Amino acid sequence: MGRYIAIRLALGLVTLISVTVLVFVATNLLPGDAATEILGRGATPETLARFREQLGLDDPLVLRYGKWLWDLLHGDLGQSLTTQTPIAETIWPRLVSTLRLAGLTALVSVPLAIGLGILSAAHEGTALDRVLAIGALAAISFPEFFTAYLLILVFSVKLGWFPNLSTIFPEMGFWESLHAMVLPIVALACLVTAHMMRMTRTSILSVMSQPYIEMAFLKGVPRGAVITRHALPNAAAPIIAVVAMNLAYLVVGIVVIEVVFVYPGLGQYMVDAVAKRDIPVVQACGLIFGIAFIGLNLVSDILAVLVNPRLRSPNRGR
Amino acid sequence: MRDGNGWTSAGLLSRRGFLGTAAAGALVTAGGLWLPRAAHAQEAKKGGTLRLGMEGGTSTDSFNPMTLSDEVPISLCYAVMNGLIEFDGAGQPQPELIESWEVAPGAKVWTFNIRQGVTFSNGKTLDAQDVIYSINLHRGETVSQLKGNLEPITDIKKITDTQIEITLSQGNADFVALLGDYHLLVVPDGHTDWANPIGTGAYVVESFEPGVRAVFKNRGDYWKPGRGNFDTVEIRYIADAVARTSALQSGQIDGANRLDPRTVDFLMQAPNLHIVRGEGTGLRYVFCARVSDDPYTNKNAVLALKYGIDRQKIIDNVLNGYATIGNDHTVAPSNPFFNADLPQRAYDPDKAAFHLKEAGLTGSEFRLTVSEGAWVTSPDCAQIFQQSLEPAGIKLELNKVPADGYWSNVWRVDPFCAVIWGARMTADESLTVSYSTASPMNDSNWKNETFDKLLAEARVELDQAKRKEMYATCQQLVSDEAGHIVFAINDTLDGYATTVMGVDKHPRFGMCDLRVAEKAWFA
Amino acid sequence: MTRLRIPPTAIFGIIVLALFIGFALIGPWIVPYDPETTVGRTWSGPSAEFWLGTDNIGRDILSRVISGARTTIGLALVTTLLSFAIGVSLGIFAAVAGPRVDAFLSRVIDMFLSVPVLIMALIVLTALGSSIPTLILTIALLDSTRVYLVARAVAVDVATRDFVDVARLRGESLPWIMAHEILPNALPPLISEFGLRFCFNFLYVASLSFLGLGVQPPQADWGGMVRENGQAISFGILAPIWPALAIAIVTVAVNLIVDWLLSRNVRPSGASAEL
Repeated sequence: MGRYIAIRLALGLVTLISVTVLVFVATNLLPGDAATEILGRGATPETLARFREQLGLDDPLVLRYGKWLWDLLHGDLGQSLTTQTPIAETIWPRLVSTLRLAGLTALVSVPLAIGLGILSAAHEGTALDRVLAIGALAAISFPEFFTAYLLILVFSVKLGWFPNLSTIFPEMGFWESLHAMVLPIVALACLVTAHMMRMTRTSILSVMSQPYIEMAFLKGVPRGAVITRHALPNAAAPIIAVVAMNLAYLVVGIVVIEVVFVYPGLGQYMVDAVAKRDIPVVQACGLIFGIAFIGLNLVSDILAVLVNPRLRSPNRGR
Repeated sequence: MRDGNGWTSAGLLSRRGFLGTAAAGALVTAGGLWLPRAAHAQEAKKGGTLRLGMEGGTSTDSFNPMTLSDEVPISLCYAVMNGLIEFDGAGQPQPELIESWEVAPGAKVWTFNIRQGVTFSNGKTLDAQDVIYSINLHRGETVSQLKGNLEPITDIKKITDTQIEITLSQGNADFVALLGDYHLLVVPDGHTDWANPIGTGAYVVESFEPGVRAVFKNRGDYWKPGRGNFDTVEIRYIADAVARTSALQSGQIDGANRLDPRTVDFLMQAPNLHIVRGEGTGLRYVFCARVSDDPYTNKNAVLALKYGIDRQKIIDNVLNGYATIGNDHTVAPSNPFFNADLPQRAYDPDKAAFHLKEAGLTGSEFRLTVSEGAWVTSPDCAQIFQQSLEPAGIKLELNKVPADGYWSNVWRVDPFCAVIWGARMTADESLTVSYSTASPMNDSNWKNETFDKLLAEARVELDQAKRKEMYATCQQLVSDEAGHIVFAINDTLDGYATTVMGVDKHPRFGMCDLRVAEKAWFA
Repeated sequence: MTRLRIPPTAIFGIIVLALFIGFALIGPWIVPYDPETTVGRTWSGPSAEFWLGTDNIGRDILSRVISGARTTIGLALVTTLLSFAIGVSLGIFAAVAGPRVDAFLSRVIDMFLSVPVLIMALIVLTALGSSIPTLILTIALLDSTRVYLVARAVAVDVATRDFVDVARLRGESLPWIMAHEILPNALPPLISEFGLRFCFNFLYVASLSFLGLGVQPPQADWGGMVRENGQAISFGILAPIWPALAIAIVTVAVNLIVDWLLSRNVRPSGASAEL
């Protein structure tokens, strides 16, 4: 297992570097550059040329990437092209914000989803199962911004229970911060819970036909205990994969929720940077997203191996 | 009104507000007193925290006056810095850090007196050197967006500590208005640290997180009487229109810009809000055909499109009536040189069909590129355009493209696309920037010698009646021949809590010309 | 044991789906108004004239929901099928083709998944331009990486079972094992995933149309309709509710059918053991 993790970590590093190369090349392929996007429509070729020179955009791609990587290895994320301030300073509070929102949402939605999934599987075919299924499906079939607008209309404008501006400022206390984050957490939980819940239910049901489950039933173990003790561990692989995918989405993909609830996180920062072709910032965000994704995926693979004894057998050679 | 022009034929000319009252004009020549417009109406109260939620900024904003381009960063700058010239409610240039001015005949040599007794937030007293430095930020070796506009300046001389002289390569009667550009903000001589701005404004920065919020504290003793009234001003970035209006309705903010015209009627019914509407002062919505490209080289083809667009229907259905109809040029209807005699081009499918036939293009299809990057509702406007062309037998294919990189990717590249043009304070600037042969922003590639010549002559013409006539001809030429289908000028729509006083519409920008932080006060 | 009765939920699902497929097929002939023409005021409420009211530029919403069925369901179906074809075959291949292939494929997929969707979509747009085939290809490819994750996770699990080793020892070819041993046993979670992905792809079309990659105006698609009319909901205007409801109903219908298929597949042994 230790060797497996070491190999995966090494591969993860290679993947991460490929990700940064890909992001770097890709953003450079997009039409326009920081000079044209910052100076806007009034720019003359002359001012553009001067600005490019100032920003170092004239250097060859390879050189610029090399310099970026070299600085990174020395712990320097570089400077934003547009604000001329160190990226680390700006990105840190946003990273904290993103992780806080993702973490709290996960805390609510993962246990909820798995619990409801088990409940659904245990009561398969009953009215409860159907209500849960329809409710969960309805929640994800609204576009995310629309769910958010509905929440704002009801809980912020009509009832006035929660603010619709969810930015956390340093001067706010713990409870005030939590209060401000309720609506985005609920909106995100609506989006991710259904997926995880459905996969939990299906995976459990799909192993229910295995001989060892039938054995357990024949031994007289009650259905609930069969599911949690025998079926769940064996059904875990796809559930873990889906949970990891959803957690990654919470870190990487929530730009719309950030915009609607005015919760400045990494997603919006990256979108702004892409729009302005602020490549060092895009790179920094890409790097963090890459780490988050590859890390989650690694953990999910390791977990899958740990919970499923058969995957640990040496003849798989991993 | 027409003969009330501000120009005299004395040896030295003084500029007075063209439409301004005699009193206001006298004030400028007397030079000295600074009086806010309508300050007499209500006594401004001091104190409180003003919380604004605004669209028009990103997490890449800074206090660098050279790269200002959107409403939030401009508002941030106006909180801590002052301009040289301020525009009043009628769009006329009024003294700000420049206290008064004189111009020699020919409008080539200008003398400016700098306001005395104004201090920067670092304690330094404002002098001529600071003003020269601040103007020169946009000249020569610079990346400033204003560089092109200041190109005619050949020399800036310091005469005394409070007086400078500016020489132009060619006369420009509207030069003072040019100095009112929002990029021209005054910083102390040698200042380059744009993360830590120093200015003569009412406030100083307490904290700034680009893309999130900026907090300003009052400096105390602001040099403009009755202004800079709040203890604290908080400007938050709220890009989403629903988030902005919801926050305003539920009292989380006291003011918001860029309200959606389609839902603003609901906000007007709210008892705790009041809406400030700047009629026809917002953006010009344009479908721009490049007349150097086929089939738009054919004047009849462009005319067919100009007659085939149902302007009123777009205004009614997309903009909910909150817009002024456009007449295919960018000069503001409120401008004194606006050609009111030019007949409004109306929707006429028969004429459109006629011109299409004249062009020999019957049955051919046009292709219009639109994007939310041009303006958010441009795809909607284009769909009604498409429908209104149908009765004329004109087919229009719509090509919706990403907002990302629109201005570098599509604008000036695609022969027929959606474009916005912002308000310019003078007829000269509107016409020069959009339609003169030499302008790098002439996006319809329209080149007309008569127009160029007339425009250059009008720029130095001191007889206002003649000048008006010249600009009228210019507008007629543009409206008939250039490739701009300017179908609407939108209204600026801002919303405030009823407790916010002193907010008024302004011909340049919404949010009191983006100076709401210094102009408003709490009841 | 006789054939299972079709449960009422599945019947509901089938009826709803049939109805919308009917709209997709004959929509253009049954709409009350031209779905692409402005016929009334902007955002007027439901009335006898316009049953569901009018949209953001005054078009009849009912007509647009009906005519949008074809584009919306068609696009979602094609993209989901394509993404499953790619994702499932790669995922199962990775699970049976040995650790090296698995590691390589998985890391490549990781790489693509780590690049934010926004950037990937923009690249595709820039490279290929915006058209329906590009749209289908982009969504299918982006989505197939996620399908791969699930397919691989399930297949790796199945591949450790004895019957796979038996097949290997029998000397069966890799494609044969993939198709005959792994796929059938990996099917239940994959069908469940299909039901959800199908629904996600409705919304995917809408979120990409935000980037300008999508159905070109004035054509209607439900996700796009929700987006165009979305801000109206904050003032209680119902315009965006109808297309959102259409998405929700089809999603629920599809997944109710999926559940029924799954229960036919899965139930017998587990349930019979219980009896």
